Amino acid sequence: MTNPENAVEGGHPDIPSWMLWWSRVRTQWQDLVVGYGMILPSLVVFLVFYYGPALFLLYIAFFHWNIFSNYSTFVGLHNFSVLLHQPIFWQSLLNTAYYVVLVVPVTTLLALALALGLRQAWSLKGGGVSQALVFLPHVTPVVATSIIWVWIFDPNFGLANAVLHALHLPQLGWLSSVHWALPAVMIYTVWHSVGLYTILFLAGLSTLPKQVLEAAQLDGARGWLAFRRIILPLIGPITFFVVVLATITTMQTFSQIYTLTGGPHGGAGGPAFSTTTDSLLIYQTAFLYDHFSLGSAMSLVLFILILAVTLIQKFVADRMVFYR
Amino acid sequence: MKTWLTYGLRAIVAALMAAPIYWVFVIATGKSGDAYSIPPVWRPLFHWAPFMYVWIHTPWARYVLNSVIISASTIILVVVTSALAGYALAELKFPGNSLYFYMTLGVMMLPQQALLVPQYVVMFHLHLLNTYTGLIVPFAASTSGIFLFRQFFMKLPASYREIARLEGVGTLTYLRRVAVPLARPAVATTVLLTFISSWNQFQWPLIMTNSSGLQPIELALSHYMQAYQSHWRDLTSAALIALLPILIVFAFTQRHIVTAVAGGEVGQKE
Repeated sequence: MTNPENAVEGGHPDIPSWMLWWSRVRTQWQDLVVGYGMILPSLVVFLVFYYGPALFLLYIAFFHWNIFSNYSTFVGLHNFSVLLHQPIFWQSLLNTAYYVVLVVPVTTLLALALALGLRQAWSLKGGGVSQALVFLPHVTPVVATSIIWVWIFDPNFGLANAVLHALHLPQLGWLSSVHWALPAVMIYTVWHSVGLYTILFLAGLSTLPKQVLEAAQLDGARGWLAFRRIILPLIGPITFFVVVLATITTMQTFSQIYTLTGGPHGGAGGPAFSTTTDSLLIYQTAFLYDHFSLGSAMSLVLFILILAVTLIQKFVADRMVFYR
Repeated sequence: MKTWLTYGLRAIVAALMAAPIYWVFVIATGKSGDAYSIPPVWRPLFHWAPFMYVWIHTPWARYVLNSVIISASTIILVVVTSALAGYALAELKFPGNSLYFYMTLGVMMLPQQALLVPQYVVMFHLHLLNTYTGLIVPFAASTSGIFLFRQFFMKLPASYREIARLEGVGTLTYLRRVAVPLARPAVATTVLLTFISSWNQFQWPLIMTNSSGLQPIELALSHYMQAYQSHWRDLTSAALIALLPILIVFAFTQRHIVTAVAGGEVGQKE
């Protein structure tokens, strides 16, 4: 059997050069056909269900349309002007901002503290198990664990108020209170996600150059000083990654708000719209009340907001002198 | 002394994080009024009768079956599409290779909540609303899966592929018989991560289905939650059905999962 790959690169007296050239072309051609064949399944999924809809959103946000009737008219920016005159839209943005501004720093700092403070502890005997327990909430299904948290936040019989009572603090209405419903969701979110960021920080910390840390210790940098001057600059990139990831995720929180604030009649977002965030409002507008044009306009606003916040964070991170 | 302090601190942190999950057991397997006891009950009684009652008297078997069908199909599809694309990205040189690499990355950047409305329209026009296909196919390709396989295939010695070529073995056969079996850790990680994300699916089925026959367990739970307000023992028993598979899988594979999420070299153990 003659196989073109047997040919020695650079020419062989018995093999004419056109044959070598032909074998190379054939390999390239094969790689092209086989390569596209192999990426095709995932490419189709990405195009049809992700990139396609993303482009489509740019189009439908400027139309007045409804999926169940076959009309659609171009209305320009009309959807957006309607949106800007809805108090609930502004309320949802405010709620989201309040939620993000509290959850992201708290989660990041807590995760960093857990990773740093327990860095040595994790490596002691049994560290793997406790590390797994800290991570565990992140893999649990949101609705299933929300059930127990609704009980924990129960004003009369819940654990949260029992703890407050034990600490001689005033008891709270939690999910039934306008002021404490969103913070209750925040507590759930921190519980559910802090393990993920702790693991990411631990992974980041484990890549720090040991020589640098030891040299710093020899030079007398310990405790806070070592953290401030050596560790913090070194973990800049991973911190940035965690903050961006946490921001993008919390800006889109949906499931826990839907389930925790569901209430007796399924009216998520209450009480009195105090937990209506952007994702929840998009869901309710488009899928509960069938206002698809408004829903798509809101989606586009959210898309742009997330993009903008990410870019701003990138800009800020570049300005700070981080080790890269 | 200091060691005991770190041990203690570590134990407290771990216990606090696990406490809510522990209380699911306490309430679900306790006496019927336990959820209303002051001070709260903290010891599980392991009465499995209420758990069995909920399991038998409501169609949870159906919901679990739905979740199993959806998760299993998604896992198989993700492994296949990831292995194929990962191999193409790692081993084959073709125009568009690096473009596709960035496209795969880009999918992760798209904000999911902002895409739901146009995605719903696409699903509507493809007649995929209220179908198993509609709950599975959009998740049949995964960025992290493709990356994992790509990383693994890049580490395979180039000589393996050369030999396969000389022997006249086709690319697909080589992939199926040599490359994928060698990339077992990547397969395991992809299976685990896909299982967790697809078992925990909630919002997509909430929007894409309106018949109870298709409901996966998380969606069914949220309806149950609204119907059985504050029947805590029934609710936690139902929650336990959704939680147990995750807890069991996690108990046996936690090291693997944690390493995978941390982006570590999972395969180094082997």
